[in-house]
Amino acid sequence: MVDWADGKTCRPVFPLEIHVAAPGMQSSESQHLLRTTQHALDDLNEFAAHHLRLKLTNDTSTAQQSDDSSEVSNNGEEGPDTALTVRLIAQDGLVVPKAELHADTTQLDVFYPPSQVPIPSSSNPPLSVFIAEELQQLYGEEKATVAHILSGEKSGLDSVNPQFAESISRRLRRSMKYADTYHLSFSLFTPGSEPSSWDIEAAVQEYLAPLLHAFAPISNFTVDTQVQLYATFSPMAPPPVYDEAEAAWTLKKEDLSAFVNAAEWPLNPSIGNGPTLNFILYVPAPSQAPMMVKENRAFSWIVPQWGGVFLLNPPLSPADKGSNPAHLSQEYLRPAFMTFSHQLLTLLGTPTTPASLPLRLQTLIRIRAATLLLSASSTMGSLARLTESLPSIPIPATVASSVSTTLSHLSATCSHLRSGRFNDALATARVAETEAERSFFEKSMVGQVYFPDEHKVAVYLPLLGPIGVPLFVGLMKELKRIIAGWKAQRRAAA
Amino acid sequence: MTTFSLLSLLLTLAVTLWSSSVLASSDYHEQLFLQPLPQSSLLASFNFRGNTSQQSFDNQHFRYFPRALGQILQHAHTKELHLRFSTGRWDAESWGPRPWNGSKEGGTGVELWAWIDAADDEEAFARWTTLTQSLSGLFCASLNFVDSTRTTRPVVSFEPTGGHSSTDGLHLLHGILPGEVVCTENLTPFLKLLPCKGKTGISSLFDGHKLFDAAWQSMSVDMRPICPPGGECLVQIEQTVDMVLDIERSKRPRANPIPRPVPNEQLVCDTSKPYNSEDTCYPLEKVTETGWSLMEVFGRSLQGVCPLAGSDGEQSVCLRVPHERSVFTSENALEIKKDDGYTRCFKLDPSSPFDLAVHEQQMNTRVPLEDPILHAERTIVGHGQERGGMRIIFGNPSETAAVDFIYFESLPWFLRPYIHTLQATITGRDGVRREIPASDLVTETFFRPAIDRERGTQLELALSVPAASTVTLTYDFEKAILRYTEYPPDANRGFNVAPAVIRILNTPDSSPVYIRSTSLLLPLPTPDFSMPYNVIILTSTVIALGFGTVFNLLVRRIVSLDEAAALGAQNIKGRILSKLVMIRDMLRPKATKVE
Repeated sequence: MVDWADGKTCRPVFPLEIHVAAPGMQSSESQHLLRTTQHALDDLNEFAAHHLRLKLTNDTSTAQQSDDSSEVSNNGEEGPDTALTVRLIAQDGLVVPKAELHADTTQLDVFYPPSQVPIPSSSNPPLSVFIAEELQQLYGEEKATVAHILSGEKSGLDSVNPQFAESISRRLRRSMKYADTYHLSFSLFTPGSEPSSWDIEAAVQEYLAPLLHAFAPISNFTVDTQVQLYATFSPMAPPPVYDEAEAAWTLKKEDLSAFVNAAEWPLNPSIGNGPTLNFILYVPAPSQAPMMVKENRAFSWIVPQWGGVFLLNPPLSPADKGSNPAHLSQEYLRPAFMTFSHQLLTLLGTPTTPASLPLRLQTLIRIRAATLLLSASSTMGSLARLTESLPSIPIPATVASSVSTTLSHLSATCSHLRSGRFNDALATARVAETEAERSFFEKSMVGQVYFPDEHKVAVYLPLLGPIGVPLFVGLMKELKRIIAGWKAQRRAAA
Repeated sequence: MTTFSLLSLLLTLAVTLWSSSVLASSDYHEQLFLQPLPQSSLLASFNFRGNTSQQSFDNQHFRYFPRALGQILQHAHTKELHLRFSTGRWDAESWGPRPWNGSKEGGTGVELWAWIDAADDEEAFARWTTLTQSLSGLFCASLNFVDSTRTTRPVVSFEPTGGHSSTDGLHLLHGILPGEVVCTENLTPFLKLLPCKGKTGISSLFDGHKLFDAAWQSMSVDMRPICPPGGECLVQIEQTVDMVLDIERSKRPRANPIPRPVPNEQLVCDTSKPYNSEDTCYPLEKVTETGWSLMEVFGRSLQGVCPLAGSDGEQSVCLRVPHERSVFTSENALEIKKDDGYTRCFKLDPSSPFDLAVHEQQMNTRVPLEDPILHAERTIVGHGQERGGMRIIFGNPSETAAVDFIYFESLPWFLRPYIHTLQATITGRDGVRREIPASDLVTETFFRPAIDRERGTQLELALSVPAASTVTLTYDFEKAILRYTEYPPDANRGFNVAPAVIRILNTPDSSPVYIRSTSLLLPLPTPDFSMPYNVIILTSTVIALGFGTVFNLLVRRIVSLDEAAALGAQNIKGRILSKLVMIRDMLRPKATKVE
């Protein structure tokens, strides 16, 4: 178990399989291109644990198929997941190659001028270098993140500039701990009585459900919503200030942490396992509208590891002057839910690049698998150290079985990672993490840990006191006698 | 036939009217009912009712239904819930029948009963535990102490009030905490459940200091499904707060709450008394009705109308005083007098605060108060640490009709009743006590004996009390001796025994009427709690004494007298030491000495 915690048993690696489809090239040409590109990639790569493996598939249709299957867990297949499909397309009229990433699939189209097809003799053709650099850039953030996770606090990669590393560690700090199930709680808060209803069911269905569906292999979600009227600011929070220049009520950036009135707003976590992410749609009172953040004129912000806030300034109804609409239609909610989706991605730790959502989710799977692997391993290590330092602690049979499940799943995760099956790796890592936590927080063990020895001393004090006093006095007497004898000896010697 | 109280009839009428008109959609209503009671008391009855469709409840889209409570109910698979927080005692003899016919009140402390959907009893109990623990957190009450010893499954005392699609698989569980002190920390979460949060509408009158200063108060939360025939199913939450305020007491300013004697010149004296003089006065009872206003009694005024509360024309405040009584209200409030001669309701202006003032006035008519259907009283009798007895007195004030009811009590396991000692005596209007077999009155019995430390006794009796008579039931019980660790810190205060619940069956309009007795204190034999420490200290002292003796024997150096003199006489210190030794030897002549 300590070996796991020290990382001796498993050194997580991330071999990403990238399919290259070059329908416009001859087989030998494409083979050569593949080889040279792989070379170029290996030269560029400085982080050995995370490397890209190119594989040639000339059949476009199979590439498309495996592309689909990479979205879902491929338990049946033995082969690794396909991380990305690169299609090489010849295009006339180009001087330099050009890459285009599909935003909704895991496909990268590389357009190249036909003249740049590498001849078999060339050792470093420009097209290969271009593709390698493109891929390197695509996985740059992921690589840095994985390196950051694996190496702990200090930045894993030397070449990553400190600003980038800082942004990664900030993102990791903001994001929630991984959980099987997240509860999403959407709340409409307003200081007055209006708006008192919103088209929330339709909005969730329309704007959020597709995103949650895409997350299905990683986590499950429950959604609940509420409307809370007469939600006033906390008396401790600084009130918004009217800014003449902006003609708006502004909140200072440093005061945003006090915006959510935790004492009065009913934002208790949802019942059941898993953390709650709170999304607050705040409609300011007509007397304080529009409201925005002073420094950057923003309407929304993220509360790290807790949720997000969006200030919605609906057009005031002209009919009777200065009142909010009584009902928020789906159209009004659109910008808010776009922001909430973005905030959700950030809170769940999704990287900001590349542009394609499926690729980002795949990256998230790998990051989560790595995080879980490390955290379960370190939990095991802590448990081992705990049992060694407290030999009297009783270990129930359930803990023992949990530990063995954890260890078996950890090694399964490791082997899945090694062979590039990241969905499976995440699944096993999830089991390992749950079992590890369960064994560490076993109630009967925790109770034993907190029985201090001081209590025993307190009970025996009436005995120890009367016995200790004559012993102490005797000891003093003896010491005095020895000193006296020693002095006498010295005097005798003198 | 028992005459039925106008007050309770009115309230029931209001409820039925509401429930029929309200069922259409998801909406919210609130109403405040005020009625001065004899002895310068004021009954204030708040009612808040919100509906949400079953579909949005299941999908966790909460609008009028509080999210926190809704999630707890879903998590615990609870289909119908009734939660009560009560303090004080309803004085039925002077105040008449209870508001809502007693169906919205609980026994002293906290009472909870719920219908839980579960496959079997064990699962139901597991979900019940989840429910009590979650509610405990939500309402800041010790509901998590409702364990198996405090949980019962009443058979006939409660009926589901909601429209359940099928009652199979529904388990009724009932728990009561008679010792729980209800206070402001329970009111705050209660107010948070309301859509208007105590900021506007009638809930803006709530002030913890006034509410819990009342002579009697009861807060209730009821959740039930309603399925109108042919319509969409709804989930309804109804919250009520009923309180009886002593007007004089409430009118005292908060900064200076100590009652002061009435100044001499304001005293109304009985001048016919022979001793009446400048400094001697026999005060006359007031003939006028006490004057009060909302501001004086509640310490704040009513902040408009909760804008969610339904349609125009909703009369959210009703007052029950004779029509001849002059009532002053804030401007913009519309007064509507009802035909019954006693009730008037007010339509409030949504934006401006509302106050209502009734001045001191001499009245010819009074609002009639009817007699309750049944008087009930329960006491513990007997003496000593080992045995005791329970005595329950039922009085039927009606001259003509017998009263049929269910008597339900759940006793803690350490009170062991002997049901074979159950005896009944009946006293007619002639005042003659006659002993009759209990089976003449008790038509049905459900008895579930206690198991030590696992469950309490459950006793349900179906009784019938003949007209114009008083029935006394008695039985004996034995007090169990608890384990040392089972005693609470205030063991000598006694142990709370939950109130009995009485459900009257033959009511005129077949709506349930409930009466609850007061809770009881059962003194149990308490041990001397310092005993273990005494034992530890005594034993330790004995061992230490033995040890000291042996230790002294072992370490004492035994020298002859000459040696001692030789050792000592060398310097001043030695001489002093030898003196000390001599003194010690004199003090302890028994010590070992060698001549």
